[in-house]
Amino acid sequence: MSSSLLSLRRACLALFALLWVVPAPPVRAAAHELGRPGDAGVWPAVAGAVLIVALALLGIQLARERAGRRRAERSLGERLRFETLLSEQVATFSRVSGADVDRAIQRALRRIADFLSVDWGNLTEYSDGSQTARVTHWWVAEGVGPQPSAIGFEEIPWVVTRLRRGELVRFSSIDELPGTEAAVDRHTYRRLGVKSQVAVPLTVEGEVVGALAFSTVGTERVWRDEFVQRLHLLGDVFANTLSRRRSEMEGQRLLQDLAHVGRVSTMGELTASLAHELNQPLTAILSNAQAAQRILHSGGADLVEIREILGDIVEDDKRAGDVIHRLRGFLRKGQLEFSTLDMGELVSQVARLVSSDAIIRNVVIRLDLAIGLPPVRGDRVQLQQVVLNLLMNGLDAMRECDAGERALVLRTFMASPASVVVAVADSGVGIKEADLEQVFHAFYTTKPNGLGMGLAIARSIVEAHGGRLDARSNPEGGTTFSFTLPTSKEGA
Amino acid sequence: MIASAAPRVFLVDDDAAVRRSLARLVKTAGYEAEPFASVRDFLARAPYDGPCCLVLDVRMPGLTGLDLQEALRVAGQRVSIVFITGHRDVPVSVKAMKGGAVDFLTKPVDAETLLGAIRQAVARTLTDRRRQARVTGIRDRIATLTPREAEVFALVVTGMLNKQIGSELGIAEKTVKVHRARVMEKMQAGSVAELVRLADEGSVITAGS
Repeated sequence: MSSSLLSLRRACLALFALLWVVPAPPVRAAAHELGRPGDAGVWPAVAGAVLIVALALLGIQLARERAGRRRAERSLGERLRFETLLSEQVATFSRVSGADVDRAIQRALRRIADFLSVDWGNLTEYSDGSQTARVTHWWVAEGVGPQPSAIGFEEIPWVVTRLRRGELVRFSSIDELPGTEAAVDRHTYRRLGVKSQVAVPLTVEGEVVGALAFSTVGTERVWRDEFVQRLHLLGDVFANTLSRRRSEMEGQRLLQDLAHVGRVSTMGELTASLAHELNQPLTAILSNAQAAQRILHSGGADLVEIREILGDIVEDDKRAGDVIHRLRGFLRKGQLEFSTLDMGELVSQVARLVSSDAIIRNVVIRLDLAIGLPPVRGDRVQLQQVVLNLLMNGLDAMRECDAGERALVLRTFMASPASVVVAVADSGVGIKEADLEQVFHAFYTTKPNGLGMGLAIARSIVEAHGGRLDARSNPEGGTTFSFTLPTSKEGA
Repeated sequence: MIASAAPRVFLVDDDAAVRRSLARLVKTAGYEAEPFASVRDFLARAPYDGPCCLVLDVRMPGLTGLDLQEALRVAGQRVSIVFITGHRDVPVSVKAMKGGAVDFLTKPVDAETLLGAIRQAVARTLTDRRRQARVTGIRDRIATLTPREAEVFALVVTGMLNKQIGSELGIAEKTVKVHRARVMEKMQAGSVAELVRLADEGSVITAGS
């Protein structure tokens, strides 16, 4: 376009020069002889007209050129701003952590859709293996009707098939969709009011994991190549983020599984203690029930006593149920559930869990819990597991020492306004200074039946909660394991 | 019921609910129940002379059931014990039975089994005490013997004749006869056979404690 403009301008200039140079004498003569009308020739009039036309042409051309430049500048500016927006997204997504991915994607969708003034923007994830897709994030412009959160595959088969093959879908008007092949799609879009759409597949290592789509409702829109190119880039960023999150989640699931195995094996060690805890209420129930039978049998039915006995039986049954309930809660295998926790309470609960075991092993457990400790955020079961693990290790460490010296001290306190500490100190055989770090390594164990995973899992759990787990030797013998947890910012 | 003749069952278990239920059960069989939350609490109680037995949990915080068994043995208190435990632990049960326990029952324990064991334990306490009283009597009698009489006593029960004893001790047969008559009298024995039995009973205890 600019070259044609240039040549036109050159032509005008040439014409102008020609008019000026070639017919110079007659023009000049004409000028000199202006006062003589009869002498007037055709030439000057023609030349003038030509000149005017040329100038007009030139003017028009210049105006068009300027408008074009302005348009170009505008589109360049727009492109620049879009580039900036995209690079911002790239920067954001390279930093975003697994937990914030959803919010970041949501924000990005909104900004981009806003920028492009489209009506719908959505991100669909294809779950691997299965034939289902889930719209995980979407954005709808103000004033536009709600976007259906899930459009079934069967409603847009042609579009989905293309995307699944890793191909782009772009149409400026529904009529551009291929006749018979996309008849169902066309019908769906017409029903939804979608007029135009661009959708790019999200691929990770050659596998299509989802799609990113923007649509207009009500008005048609031409999707320029350069925009589609940029959209591919954005799609890659999203795809990478999603796949990173997927692998993070897999890592988390692995830790959860490991943690569960750890709990199960710890429970194995606690069986004797649990049997004792269940046996007490069961013993009371049986004795009470048989006492009642004997009272009734003897004929001297004292209803007050019978009522008391039944009340006790109910209580003891509940107590046995609680043991089971606690056990089941502890062995629960599933999603992490973050909640606000009082570590003092949590520590006391775990201490109760091992109290029977401590009696069997002739160990005194002492609690030294700070009052008014700020809450922390975490998964109750996993943190219980950490405390239980440290307690069991402490008990094991004291197997060899004299009965009188067996004491396990549990402390909770604040290390700073931002962190809470749980410390478990034993008076056991101690750990060699060189091995203090070794104990956290996987498969490190001193126990004949140990997996050597307990402390490794415990440390992973604490770190996943944003804390640290360390061991140090006590000056008076034995070892202290302590872990920190950041206090909850939300308050109690 | 003041100074009731009903045998008394001492219950020691750290679990309040278990104590209450066992006390109820024991009462239905006509016993008096006296519960304690710990071994220490029981030891703080004055020894009981009447018919009784002890139902004892093996594992408790602080002193255990086995510790109490040992403490009673050292103190020379004769109270038969029925152990009840949360879980079967062979070494512990062997130790308890060797220490003279009547039974070693697993919780939860059936009423008939427990009451049977208690019945047996109360009876054992009585016979133990009777035997102990008899042994004490025998030893008191032995204590009244002069050194020479004690020597003669020791040789008579081995089945020696007076002549042999005389030559063994370097005294006259006649003197042996006099000593022997004094021994029979002091020991309240009607025959040599009875004297042998008394010596046996007295010395079993001597060896045992």
